[in-house]
Amino acid sequence: MRLFLGFILLTFCVYTLDGQQRYEFNRLGSECNLKYLVYNVMQDKMAYKRPFVFVVGKPHETIDRTFMDDTLRTLPQFYGYTFVYVPNEGGTIQDKVSCLPAMVSWLTQGYKSRNNNVFLFIKDQGVSTADIQMMQESMVSFKNAFRSAVLAADIVPSNTSGLLESFKATSVEEEAEKEVGNFYIDENADDPADPGISSIGTVKSYFGPPSSYNYTLSGMIRDRSSGEALPFATILVKGSSIATQSNVDGYFTLFKVPTDTSTLVISYIGYANEEVFLTPTLPKQNFVVLLSPASALLKTVTIAATKEDVVISKREDISVIKMTPKKLEQLPNLGERDIMRSFQLMPGVSASNESSSGLYVRGGTPDQNLVLYDGFTVYQVDHLYGFYSAFNANALKDVQLYKGGFESRFGGRLSSVTEITAKDGNQKKFNYGTDISLLSLNVWAEIPMGEKISSIITFRKSYKGPLYNKIFDKFNSDNTSSMVTQTPGGPGGGRFTQNTKVTSYFYDVNGKFTYRPTAKDVVSLSIFNGTDKLDNSIDNGDLPSFGDFTPSFSFSATDLTQYGNFGTSLKWSRKWSPKLYGNTLVSYSNFFSNRDRSQEMIRTNSSGESTTTNNGIFENNNLKDVSIKSDYQWDVGSFSQVQFGAYATQYDIKYTYAQNDTATVLDRHDRSFLGGGYLQSRTKFFKDKLHLLPGIRLSYYEQSDKVYYEPRASLNYSIDDRFTLKGAIGKYYQFANRVTREDILSGSKEFWLLSDGDAVPVSSAIHYIAGISYETNQWVVSTEAYYKTIHGLTEYSLRFNPSPQGVSYQENFYSGNGYARGIEFLLQRKLGNLNGWISYTLGEARNHFDVYSTDYFPANQDVRHEFKIVGLYKLKRWDFSASWVYASGRPYTAPSGAYTVTLLDGNTADYFTVTSKNSVRLPDYHRMDLSVNYKLLAGIQGDHKRREIGYIGFSIFNVYNRTNLWYKQYTIEDLQIVETNINYLGFTPNITLSLKHW
Amino acid sequence: MRALLLLSVLFFYSCNDEGKTEFTDWAIIESYIRPGDYFNIKVTRQLPFSSDVVYSMDDINNLTISVTCNDTVYYLTPLGEGAYIDSSLIVTENTEYYLSFHFNGLAVSAFTYIPAKPNNFSQSATSISLTRIDSTSGFPIGGFTMPDPVELTWDNPENDYYLAIVENVESVLDPIRDFGDNTPPSNIFRKSPTTLAATEIRTQEFQYYGTHRIILYHVLPDYAALYNENTTSSQNLTNPSSSIGNGYGIFTGLNADTLYIEVKEQ
Repeated sequence: MRLFLGFILLTFCVYTLDGQQRYEFNRLGSECNLKYLVYNVMQDKMAYKRPFVFVVGKPHETIDRTFMDDTLRTLPQFYGYTFVYVPNEGGTIQDKVSCLPAMVSWLTQGYKSRNNNVFLFIKDQGVSTADIQMMQESMVSFKNAFRSAVLAADIVPSNTSGLLESFKATSVEEEAEKEVGNFYIDENADDPADPGISSIGTVKSYFGPPSSYNYTLSGMIRDRSSGEALPFATILVKGSSIATQSNVDGYFTLFKVPTDTSTLVISYIGYANEEVFLTPTLPKQNFVVLLSPASALLKTVTIAATKEDVVISKREDISVIKMTPKKLEQLPNLGERDIMRSFQLMPGVSASNESSSGLYVRGGTPDQNLVLYDGFTVYQVDHLYGFYSAFNANALKDVQLYKGGFESRFGGRLSSVTEITAKDGNQKKFNYGTDISLLSLNVWAEIPMGEKISSIITFRKSYKGPLYNKIFDKFNSDNTSSMVTQTPGGPGGGRFTQNTKVTSYFYDVNGKFTYRPTAKDVVSLSIFNGTDKLDNSIDNGDLPSFGDFTPSFSFSATDLTQYGNFGTSLKWSRKWSPKLYGNTLVSYSNFFSNRDRSQEMIRTNSSGESTTTNNGIFENNNLKDVSIKSDYQWDVGSFSQVQFGAYATQYDIKYTYAQNDTATVLDRHDRSFLGGGYLQSRTKFFKDKLHLLPGIRLSYYEQSDKVYYEPRASLNYSIDDRFTLKGAIGKYYQFANRVTREDILSGSKEFWLLSDGDAVPVSSAIHYIAGISYETNQWVVSTEAYYKTIHGLTEYSLRFNPSPQGVSYQENFYSGNGYARGIEFLLQRKLGNLNGWISYTLGEARNHFDVYSTDYFPANQDVRHEFKIVGLYKLKRWDFSASWVYASGRPYTAPSGAYTVTLLDGNTADYFTVTSKNSVRLPDYHRMDLSVNYKLLAGIQGDHKRREIGYIGFSIFNVYNRTNLWYKQYTIEDLQIVETNINYLGFTPNITLSLKHW
Repeated sequence: MRALLLLSVLFFYSCNDEGKTEFTDWAIIESYIRPGDYFNIKVTRQLPFSSDVVYSMDDINNLTISVTCNDTVYYLTPLGEGAYIDSSLIVTENTEYYLSFHFNGLAVSAFTYIPAKPNNFSQSATSISLTRIDSTSGFPIGGFTMPDPVELTWDNPENDYYLAIVENVESVLDPIRDFGDNTPPSNIFRKSPTTLAATEIRTQEFQYYGTHRIILYHVLPDYAALYNENTTSSQNLTNPSSSIGNGYGIFTGLNADTLYIEVKEQ
């Protein structure tokens, strides 16, 4: 370093001939004045970023002689290396060698891999191995300058293999791979040339001619630190439109790669865009590309455009939103990072349903959204009344939401698809972590077992913290009750609060075990189990007395809900050939929900005699789905990819609904087989500008004994690099539906039911979607319009009595149809310290059921306007975020009046009329959330690069304490009606501590 | 982006036009149509839950109500208090009645029919004897035996709904038991509607001595459903008769047969 600082540069070409350039290092008279010759066959300006071989000539040999005698540079293995010929005249060889580190430092300045790719070849027979060892021991700069030094004396002229091996350039990936985990790089580091900051990234190391043209490259995309396969990453040949996407297991096949010296650009959300420089020596099959998490590259925006997006709307697909849980913590959350909540911040997905983790996509209901977790269908995605999603973000790797017009490979749902891929677990290193918040404890561990097996286990359990209780209280005293009116003659009423004993919890466990017997096969077992037990029972001693003749009245209510999911899948994926990939999956999914909401009333008269009355609702729902399916993907050529598959499902769904513990109102148990197949083809036309994806799906459904055809097609056309036009159309069927049981007084509930093709028809939808997007490196502007028609909707209502001819309660199912239409806008800034998006959706969802009215009425989930703004700001170790959502109020049906009927036995009965279906609206919904995260770092303070070991997060949900209405409950007690507003959460702060150990 | 923001703001202002409450002034019908009666109905208004509602201008006592039976249209005469009658139309068995009128700009319609008179209605006893129990008498020495229940039977090959109502017809009620401080029970009690061909009256269901009228109604399913209801469930929102269009209430046909039983003191 001392020498280096003392040097004054003298560089200029003397002459250039056949790639030779002559320079002088240092002033004449300096002990390190060297007139040296540089040879490089490519003669390009990037010469300093190549492997270097420093050649020191024989004693007293001129530089020209050394150059002439050297044959190393002619070897094909060293094609593209830079050779530096250092004369060995004047001064001792030891002096010369001691000057070399400074020279190396100068010549290779800014070359990240110099330590690995600079070699020394000494032809002076007077230098021994011992001399070199001594140099290495005494001069740290010498040791650091050269990866290997070879003496000509040690080389047997007939065998140069040792030399070739010693001078073999090392690719950069191997070096970076040692850096496991996310790193924080201090932006205050003063030295801009500090290699630690500026030179992470792959470096071109091959400069020779290509050996293959227009070839097919296949391989896999993985996370650099954990080895996780990365699904749905984009692989693009730089400067062309040749591109492909990795599949769910991370495999990809790229056709028509122009040369084996082309550059690939790999992009994956949450990761830095990586440039990969192909060389003829790299494999053309099983080529593994490693990506680094974006946070390792905080300061590297100048090198590659690092996308900071948390969620993105994909340009190349219609109506697809993609997200990686890796960056989820940056969004405001309510105690847990939540993928479903995050999707709700995007256009077209309703954000005003705090009580549902299920997604209301484009006027659809959550049951119309297919949720696939590692291939098996999840039927219930809620924890704790829907305030939390059932998915533990620590277990997840990738999530994609198809908002409509989805491909033929997905089926059985009318609206949308959420495809969740769980992590395989770190394949390289055992690591574990924990998240603690005011709501829950979340622990996870990734355990690799040998080279071929990886696993991940996560466990989450709520505990009765303040936040948990707050949510729970939503159902009790926290709500505002008010007397609305009373029928004449009825006794007066009033408000009272009730005491609730909370003994409730939820937990979930996720596990995944992945075995990779060969490079082509992956076998994985995924398990998902979550249970909620919500005990909201009330026990009241004495309430204020009602009426004149009831001296004492006590009341206890049981409100016990238990529900949960168990799902498992065993999947075998195989890359049969570079062009054919397939997987076969066997899965089991079970959802159960048991609800006991009953009241026991004890009335005691003045003589101490008491009468007990029991009444209530008992509701049980149990769904089982056993499936097998096979999916194949055949890359026919550069222009076409064919996907096909077959599936079979056996459904078994039970639902019972009883009142007063004896009167079973509804008892259904349906079983059915559903099986079929699909074929779809992704084809590119007009120099890849037009992508067309037609497909057909057909299904046989046993209950209706019919075959259903679902033709679908989508296309996108890239007008230029920035503008893309998109369109889709398709037919969709759904066989298992969550039917709404209309309950105006205590809030409607849903239950899963299998279509019987008769009273509960198979529902169907047709989607029409068109959109345009404009995308630059920094901005996305996109808009999409949709229209869908829906047939065969089912609702269950006890509001309508049998006709004089009589109808049994079993048949209180009503069928209808509906439509949804809307337009969505998104403006997103993807880059920079301040990024985020603004979205607006104008939507409408209307249904028509003959039983309710002759006209279309607003569907329960109808929301006219939704506006969302999300801002993320990064400042050193701090991540700030803010979001604001506004949604117009949802419709509901309310009791509107009362009347009395005299019965035949002389008694009178009171009845209530309701408004026309969904004709009244709740107030508009709006809410602001804020969060701030502070990164926790390992290592010594002041180091410019430190490992991230977690974060402390503080978030505020509903900052300005807006009272948002969830629904209204009505209670009829002794001829009076009490209206209760069930509100969503008010101002709720939360703290999260997240730690991980690598 | 500004344009988008502006657009959104405009929408916020334009989207609050939907009312908070809604009340429709529905007609409420109450009518049990029995053979032999003149055709009559009662029309009332519901009581709204909010105070600022607007009733329709239609006069509830002066509606033009028509009833169609056997393709003949009859117009009912108002009697005041919402009651209407047609003194030329006598209700007959197995006839269908279609009601229609306009109220609050809506075409209100209703339909029912008269089921057949109960056939072979019979009882297992015409009189029973029950021991008087009161606080002063104490328990009878040596205990007492309860008489067998009274069995009621009728023909019901179609599994239709039948409802039995038992009414004490004495002008002065003579209680069997001492009711203490409790409110004395009604002189009428009923059995649950059944689709069977029999029901039984347990002797402890009788509260008073004297002559009782047992009326067996052959009712329609819509009326029978009223008794299946749970007063605390949302079925209070059920329209008691789904045959009424654009209105609420009950409009149902029924037919009855009557027997008598004597309850004597033992």
